[in-house]
This record gives sequence, C-alpha cells and structure tokens, in this order.
Amino acid sequence: MIQSFLDTLGDLLMESGLAGLTWKHLVMICISFIFMYLAIKKNFEPLLLLPIAFGMLLTNLPNAGLYHPELFDGANVNIQEIFSNGGLLDLLYIGVKFEVFPPLIFLGIGCMTDFAPLIANPKSFLLGAAAQAGIFLTFVGAAALGFNANEAGSIAIIGGADGPTSIFVSSKLLSGGGPYSVNTGSIALAAYTYMALVPVIQPPIMRLLTTKKERVIRMDALRPVSKTEKIIFPILVTIVIALLVPDATTLVGLLMFGNLLKESGCCERLVKTAQNELMNIVTIFLGISVGATTTADKVFTIPFLKVIVLGVIAFSVGTAAGLLFGKIMCVVTGGKVNPLIGSAGVSAVPMAARISQKVGAEYDPTNFLLMNAMGPNVAGVIGSAVAAGVLLSIIPV
Amino acid sequence: MEMTNEFVASVVISGLVIVFSALIILILFVALFGKIFDSINSKQKKAVTKKTEEPVSIPAKAPAPAPVPEIEDGIGDEVIAVIAAAVAAMGAETGKKFALRSVKHSMSSRGAWGNAGVSESMRNF
Repeated sequence: MIQSFLDTLGDLLMESGLAGLTWKHLVMICISFIFMYLAIKKNFEPLLLLPIAFGMLLTNLPNAGLYHPELFDGANVNIQEIFSNGGLLDLLYIGVKFEVFPPLIFLGIGCMTDFAPLIANPKSFLLGAAAQAGIFLTFVGAAALGFNANEAGSIAIIGGADGPTSIFVSSKLLSGGGPYSVNTGSIALAAYTYMALVPVIQPPIMRLLTTKKERVIRMDALRPVSKTEKIIFPILVTIVIALLVPDATTLVGLLMFGNLLKESGCCERLVKTAQNELMNIVTIFLGISVGATTTADKVFTIPFLKVIVLGVIAFSVGTAAGLLFGKIMCVVTGGKVNPLIGSAGVSAVPMAARISQKVGAEYDPTNFLLMNAMGPNVAGVIGSAVAAGVLLSIIPV
Repeated sequence: MEMTNEFVASVVISGLVIVFSALIILILFVALFGKIFDSINSKQKKAVTKKTEEPVSIPAKAPAPAPVPEIEDGIGDEVIAVIAAAVAAMGAETGKKFALRSVKHSMSSRGAWGNAGVSESMRNF
C-alpha cells in the first residue's frame, strides 16, 4: 500500500511543472516579474505590459498547457486541432494569428483620437512621414544581420512605435512556411517595451539634435476646426490611403471608422463600447496571448537579442528623422516650427507628444507645444499604418 | 525570400517614397478643404459683422423708446417681470431682440366640464 502511495506520488511529481522546470523557464519567470514591476510600480504602459507579463508567466510554467506554439507553426494552421487540443491561450491567440485584434484596437484608438491638430496644420503629415524612416533604415540593418525579408520587415516595423501595427505586420509576414528565427511575441514584446521607454529614449536624442535657440521657438496657436471638417477627414483619409496602399486599409480603415463614429456625434453608444468595453476586452486577449508566445525556447536565442538591439535602433532613428525634418521645416518656415515636435512623429500616442511638450517646457516653462506636437503624433499613426501596408505589399508572405 | 542588395534598396526607396507621397496627397486634400471651409467661415463672419456694424454707423439717432406693453387687468408686476426676463434670456441666446408688446390671460378653449373630463381620463397616467 505504501509502495502504491509512493508510486502515485512519484507519478504526480513527474507530471507536475517542477519536473519540466529548467533554468530558462526560471529566467523567463523572473523577466515576467520585472515586467510586472515596471507595469505596477513604474506605470510603464500597464494596460498592456501587465497582461503580457502574466501571459509570459503562464506560458513558462511547464506542463500548464495553456499555450502550444507547435499548433501555430507552419503555413497552415489547423483550427480544428486548436479547438480539440489547444489551451485557453491557444484559442485567444487565434485572434492575433489571423490579425483580428490589432484592427479592433485601432477602432478603439480612432474613437479616442482627435485629429483636429492635424486638420488645422496638415503640414504635420510630413513629420509623421519622416519619422517612418526608422522603419525602412532598420530594414537595412536587419538585412545586414542576416535576417530574411519577412523577419527584417517584422523587426523594422518596431520603428513605427505602434504595438498593434507591429503585431499586425509580424503575424502576417511570419505566417508563411518559414522557418523563422523570430516570432510575433518577441516583436510585440520589443515594441511595447520601447513604447514604454519613450520617456527614456527620446529626450537625449532631442537634446542632441536641436539647439537651445530652436527648443524655445514658440508656435502659433492652431485654428479652430469645424465639425464638418472633422467628419470629412476620416472618410477622405480612408479613401485616399485605401486607393494608394490597399494593404494599409484594414488598419487605417478601422482607425478612421472609429474616428467617424466619434466625430459624427450620433453614435454615442457605439463610441462608448468601442473605446471602453471592446477595447478593454481585446487588450486583455491580445496582451495575455502575445505574452504567452514568449516561451523560453523562443526568447533565449541570438535572433531575439538582435531584435532587441534593432528595435532600439529603429526607434531612435525614427525619432532622429522626425527631429531632422522638423529642423528643415523650421528653416523653410523662417523659424515658425519648433523642431521638437518632429520627434512626436513616431506614433506612440500621446506619450511622444507629451515628451515634446516636456522637453520644450524645460527650456521655457511658458511654451506650450503639446497641441502642435499632437499633429505629427496622430499623423505618425497614419504614417506607420501606411508603412505597414507598404511592407506587406512589397514583401511576399 | 532572398535579401539581395537590390531588393533591400528597393524596399527602402519605394517605402519612403510611397509613405511620403501618400501623406503629401493627404496634405493637399486637407489643406484644400481647410481653405474651402475658411472662405465659407469668413463670408459668414463678414455677413455677421455687417449686420452688427449698421446701427453703430448712425449714432446720431437716439434709440427708439420701447413700446409700452398692454397689460390686461389682474396680472401682477411680478408675473410681468418674470415673462420679460424669460423673453430677454431667449433673445440673448439667439442674438435677436424681442419686445414685449402685450400680456393677456390665455383663453381656455375648453369649458369647466371639458377640463373635468380631461383630468378624469388622465388620472391613471
């Protein structure tokens, strides 16, 4: 009897997570703790970082069976098998794999975004476009480090500083047969980490590339924008972008649909749902399932380290390109544009615009650049979605 | 997909060109409809300022005295003050001037029996 008890105990131990625990799992669990700390204590993008961190914890607890990466490997994903043998996070990951969640997040962002600063000063589009240089220059860096086109495109899009766009592009580009040395989870992790670190990464580059005289330039107040203009804008952008870059239509279309709902003023209930309940539900599903893809065997690799390095390069180059273009606009307009608003062209909304305001206020506390910086900031969202469409149309899956 | 130098260069150049040209086209459209709305707004503003300028241009004329409203017997001064204040408030909101010309008791189209019948049938609601 004692022998059978011991056998049962032994079997249970062998089936437990402890038996499968390796040092890699332990390190990943520690990293998840660090992300939880950054989210809870430091308030770094907590709405996304905390679900990602907990997904990371769940997936690195051996034998828990919530997520099975092998079910999503290869070009053809067997949905029937996922429903039969998959765990909860496998089911949620379907929304990421088939690019359902990122556009829904864009719908919510559209409901919360005010494009008035961009409509009032359409030249801001140029700064939003310039900051996308980070994406394409990082593509060169990724190619030089030996990544193939699909991997390089997925890494480069981190420079857009837009989490949902990074997930959208990488899950589409990496959906082919492969094999790929990076996955959507590691791209998303790098993108969200750098987005959270915008206040750390951007200010030194801003100070380095601008003079004190430029930093104290005051910009004119923006003209008021009528309701009709605000209603026409999302329709116009959707038509123009969809005709020019059809691959960007999913993201831009949903972003503009959300904005039209908001600006129309007649769909209060839909706006509330899109920017609250729907956005929150999708954020939870997206965060926890993306976190789950960061399994120890996928993260402890040289390519992941390269992703981390290229990610910060992409982000910094995007910031620098926006600033340099801001300087050009400053010269062309005879000193009417403060180059600091150029760094807001990376689309981390509204953090990047806040950083422009903060750095400007350090040198002149009475200088308010926030509304002027919001123009390039929201232009950056459209710009990165267009850049995503370009990558998807050029690189074959 | 193989990463030849040619392919990398084509991704970078075509990417930047397409992003810039798409956003420049948007600038042109947004600036165009911004100008259209500006001109519409400035026309409306001109029309409003013309209207407001007219009385200022003839300062020699003394403002016409407000007509004394006809007030029916049995209506107290307090009631008149409240009605006048309400009319003035409405005028301030719409930007139009109203004058109180007369205050009368409203004539009920129903008789006493009619009123009793209405109140009886409405009681449940």
